[in-house]
Amino acid sequence: MIVQHHRDTPKTVTPIITGPATRAYTVSYDAGDQWFGLRLRPESGAALWKGAMAQATDTVLRGQEAIDLVPPLAELDGRHLTLKEIAPLVLDHTAQSVDTRLTRALDVLHASGGRIRMTTLAGFLSCSTRQLNRLFRANTGLSTKTYAQLIQFHRTLGLITRARLPITAAAFEGGYADHAHMTRAFGRFGGFAPSRVPPDLTLPQLFPQ
Amino acid sequence: MKLGYTIIYVADVPKTIAFYEAAFGLQQRFIHESNLYGEMETGETVLAFAGNEAAEMNGLAILPNDPKGPAAGWEICFVTDDVAAAYDRALSNGCRPVSAPSLKPWGQSVSYVRDLDGCIVEIASPIQKPT
Repeated sequence: MIVQHHRDTPKTVTPIITGPATRAYTVSYDAGDQWFGLRLRPESGAALWKGAMAQATDTVLRGQEAIDLVPPLAELDGRHLTLKEIAPLVLDHTAQSVDTRLTRALDVLHASGGRIRMTTLAGFLSCSTRQLNRLFRANTGLSTKTYAQLIQFHRTLGLITRARLPITAAAFEGGYADHAHMTRAFGRFGGFAPSRVPPDLTLPQLFPQ
Repeated sequence: MKLGYTIIYVADVPKTIAFYEAAFGLQQRFIHESNLYGEMETGETVLAFAGNEAAEMNGLAILPNDPKGPAAGWEICFVTDDVAAAYDRALSNGCRPVSAPSLKPWGQSVSYVRDLDGCIVEIASPIQKPT
């Protein structure tokens, strides 16, 4: 959930709600625009999107569309609220608490760089891969497999950009079977080839680097 | 170069450190305020624990330890003169038994347990130097 303050009309704000992104996309803005926002843990997606989780993937709601989903966002207009004040407006506290198995599954999946086998991951939680997939889809909007592939892509991208690995070494450590496998994943999720990572790429970080 | 640290990635650093204090009689050196890293007092070569999240922060991909699954292919070994007492202490503080103390042909008493995360811990007597 993001709030955009426009450079020329700082009192007018645009609320933006983004679903889980599986493709790269471009954000247009004017120099001087400002944003701030809340980044929810992935398993909290359903608390924000409620019944619309299935349609949330690769969806960006702006302005009135965002307000339609979360009506209290209308109260933002013309006001400068802190994140602490916004959070209770946005989050649906009547939403059912998330299954702790999903939280654990996400932690293990992230720790493994998306490389853990789905059967092994399900084994951690003493559930079947089908149950696991249902938990993922209902709460994050993505299948377990797609979620894992996104982590793998982001980590491998970091191996190239931050860890400065040669592409072949990054493919191996990232867990791609071969160069073609990595190239397909980069094309699908990032829209570029591993050898052509845009120099001005902005990667939202889960942790401060 | 020398071996400086053995760092085990775990689900819960403070819980693991408390477990190692109770089960193996070690003492903690410190726990970082993030709760994502902590060290035990193990002399010059440090036994340390880091949160699984720290692996991702460092760009690593790991298979987290799972008490229900087979253990990772490595172990740590504590050496004591009283293997039976150390083994009993470990079990009564939550370790799962793998192999009770037994005397090896070379004169060493050896036992194995698994810790709260399923990591293999060997408890053995010192190897007797030939006289």
